Amino acid sequence: MLRTELRKLLPYRTAWVILLLFTGLLAATVAGAGGVNVNGQQLGQALYALPGLWTNLTYLASYFSLLPAFLLIMLITDEFQYRTLRQQIIDGASREQLVLDKLLVTALLVGWAVLSVLLVGAYFGLTRAANATLPAVLAAAPRPLLLYAAQLLGYLSLAALLAVLIRKSTPAIVALLLYVWVVERLIRYFLPDSIDRFLPIKALDILTPSPFAQTLDTVLGPSGALLPGEAVPVALAWAAVFWLLSAGLLRTRDL
Amino acid sequence: MSAILDIEHLTKRYARTTAVQDLSLSVPAGSVFGLLGPNGSGKTTTLGIALGVLHASSGAVRWFGAAPTAEARRRVGALLETPNFFPYLTARQNLQISADTKRAAPATIDAALETVELAGRQHEPVRGFSLGMKQRLALAAALLGQPEVLVLDEPTNGLDPQGIADVRRLIQRLSAEGRTIILASHLLDEVQKVCTHAAVLHQGQLRAAGPVGQILAATDRVHLRLAPDADPQTLLRALAAVPFAQDVQPAPGGACSLALAPGHSPADLNRALFAQGLALAHLSTEQRSLENQFLQLIQNS
Repeated sequence: MLRTELRKLLPYRTAWVILLLFTGLLAATVAGAGGVNVNGQQLGQALYALPGLWTNLTYLASYFSLLPAFLLIMLITDEFQYRTLRQQIIDGASREQLVLDKLLVTALLVGWAVLSVLLVGAYFGLTRAANATLPAVLAAAPRPLLLYAAQLLGYLSLAALLAVLIRKSTPAIVALLLYVWVVERLIRYFLPDSIDRFLPIKALDILTPSPFAQTLDTVLGPSGALLPGEAVPVALAWAAVFWLLSAGLLRTRDL
Repeated sequence: MSAILDIEHLTKRYARTTAVQDLSLSVPAGSVFGLLGPNGSGKTTTLGIALGVLHASSGAVRWFGAAPTAEARRRVGALLETPNFFPYLTARQNLQISADTKRAAPATIDAALETVELAGRQHEPVRGFSLGMKQRLALAAALLGQPEVLVLDEPTNGLDPQGIADVRRLIQRLSAEGRTIILASHLLDEVQKVCTHAAVLHQGQLRAAGPVGQILAATDRVHLRLAPDADPQTLLRALAAVPFAQDVQPAPGGACSLALAPGHSPADLNRALFAQGLALAHLSTEQRSLENQFLQLIQNS
């Protein structure tokens, strides 16, 4: 099943363009952000310093999460357009198998993104941080990277659900953007803070906290949001809900 | 003969239409079963439900005597409606994906490509294929893993005359190897030439089913007319009294046509009318084409 998904993915040029764009943009942003001046000081020192390097990096990477999300939407909606999901059922796949296949693709995309962050972080950690050794750089990596992986898994799971629901790439992409940028924010207006912190995008965003959040917290007081560690089970629960909904849709609808 | 596929009281309703209505049929093992009907008669919907891509509103499907499963589908090679491929992958890469799903041996890919004469172009992306080539590739995909049953929905779509003849020979060869073939088509000729059994569908309903010889047996029609000055009703009244004159249909100018019950000849009819004091000015028999027979089957509704 991994082999079959790789057979579809590896020759797909668009996939490579998007994935390399993700890695390239991340590297360029990290390199560029080091030169930004804040209050007369180069941001570089604060950006690359351990142990904050990884948190800063995953925060920057989260801005590019939409790229793998778009790719996943295209990969899923293409299969509706080409009617290859239908053909795979005819050929003897079960509907549950189709869902698991796409979950596997999602895991591959998360793996690519985490690996990209790891490589970019290791490079800038070794070359720009003061007195950095490889073990020292890597030792600080696991927790921020796992939080980031959970965040991207959540985003991609929502993207997959919208792709399965809408079946056409452009409307599904628009729906994702609308939800992330508009709809959930509207919902938050009507919900008390104690509840809206469990909404998917809000909980996911917490997983890669802004490097400036601590400063803001001291100025504005605690925000009432979840702590990153608390947001992990919430993110995983949402991912599970999204995949179960996708499976339900695929099981009950005609292909 | 045991049944490969049983369809029982199958109904598929969409918001505005009923695509299939209370359809029951049974495909015997080893048969070449034709599913015949005009466009939109419910052939593809029926096969789509049988192959697990559509959900029935009611009714049941059984493959090999049991409830349908993904595993049962792997014993069936199917081409449903349109060839479905990844356009950016080559013919061979597409077949590899199909073979993975069917758990077919990779070696069968070469054999399938040879059979449909695409071996020479297997490394080209499907995007550049003509409809006929895609159709041949879809046939190759259906053949992967040498399935016991083949479901071919309009397999000659987009093929040139040579390709159509090739598909016919392929079906005959597969049938001779003992495989069961379900062939959906709106082409009567296609069904008549290769099928042992057939079911005729019209507007989602079954009109006839059985061995091809039985349901598509062409009955000749007899045309007759009295002298031009006779009352047109005279002939119709007289025919009503002849028990073996069936399906009497009046025609312009006092003429009419009818079918004879088995075992009766036009001479019997002439004698019976003469006995009633009527002398015919015209009597002829028309060889009914299967085309007409088919049209009549789907119009008697």
